[in-house]
Amino acid sequence: MANPMEQFAIERMGEPMAVGGMDVSFTNSALWMLIALALVSAFLFIGTARPQLVPGRAQAAVELVYDFIRDMLRENVGKEGLRYAPLIFALFVFVLACNLLGLIPFIGAFTPTSHIAVTFGLAAIVFVLVVIVGFARHGLHFFSLFLPEGTPIFVAPLVAGIEFVSFLSRPFTLAIRLFANMTAGHVLLKVFGGFVVLLGSFESVPYLFGIIPLGVNVALSALELLIAVVQAYVFALLASIYLNDAVNLH
Amino acid sequence: MPQFDPAYWFPQLAWLGAIFAVLYFAVVRPTLPKVSRVIDERESRVAGDLDAAEAAKASADSIRTAYDSGMAEARTAAQAEVAKARETAARAVEARMKDVGGRLDAQAATAAASLDAARGQARAGLAATAAELTAEAVTRLIGVAPAPQEVEAALAARK
Repeated sequence: MANPMEQFAIERMGEPMAVGGMDVSFTNSALWMLIALALVSAFLFIGTARPQLVPGRAQAAVELVYDFIRDMLRENVGKEGLRYAPLIFALFVFVLACNLLGLIPFIGAFTPTSHIAVTFGLAAIVFVLVVIVGFARHGLHFFSLFLPEGTPIFVAPLVAGIEFVSFLSRPFTLAIRLFANMTAGHVLLKVFGGFVVLLGSFESVPYLFGIIPLGVNVALSALELLIAVVQAYVFALLASIYLNDAVNLH
Repeated sequence: MPQFDPAYWFPQLAWLGAIFAVLYFAVVRPTLPKVSRVIDERESRVAGDLDAAEAAKASADSIRTAYDSGMAEARTAAQAEVAKARETAARAVEARMKDVGGRLDAQAATAAASLDAARGQARAGLAATAAELTAEAVTRLIGVAPAPQEVEAALAARK
């Protein structure tokens, strides 16, 4: 049985590259991020080529996603949050494109979002945004985020400590949630794929027993498709909830 | 797991940073505001159209009210006019009737008077004729012509 972790292997493509002594070689991960970029670019450039009052198909598709992001921000942050719609939009479509591209079978697709480095990088963007917006809007008052209103003074240090740790852990939970979901789903698909080969290759009864894990894999593929969309949504949703803290404090 | 090999972290982060920067600054920023503008324009257009429709409906309503009140006014005026005309006509007819009646009465009176005169004349004529006849008859009977005064007195006595 093939190693189910093999699909996550990073492979260098072309010559090794380095900037300032740091390795920045082009890899399959970078390739699939570029493909995601190309896909999103096509989606956006075609959709907004000639914006019309009565939208065509491509424009309606872009508007659908954009309205979805704007509604989410309006609901979780308020009118002020609409200013960050392009960034949340970019995060959402990029994560969604990476998640979905990785599910394409046969072509050796790689899922950049199944790597903690990538998901952490995306989570760091959210974290830095929250910190910058928070300090820009509230100055040093932003620290009152760590002290919820109405906290009795004698437990204040404890609460502030807990709140601070939970604030710092946000990028990690955000990164690990996405990475773990993607990794687990892909491992599961590969494991059941291995079962298809294993159970279907008895010499006396060929193929027959492979049908069951194959069926499971079909169902899992549908589930993974759902998870790919849901996790992109969750990522964008949590980003807007964290942004709410920075914009409105409490 | 290759995910936890730190050797792969930096290249991925570097490429992610570059690709996401391109995505945000070169793709999303130039394109998305166009859609945003169109959405806003559409919303304001729809709101404007709704306002215009509301205004049109209000003006139609006011026209309708004006029409209704105008109609009611015209109807009352027409009714008053009709009543007045009817009254005038009735009065005219009455006056005419009175006038014609008076004239007819006068004519009748004149006719009656002339009838009376004629009758008187006829009667006077009759008396004269009777007297002549009587005088004639008396002359034939007795051969003496009576005096007219006597005949008249005798006839008057017979009446």
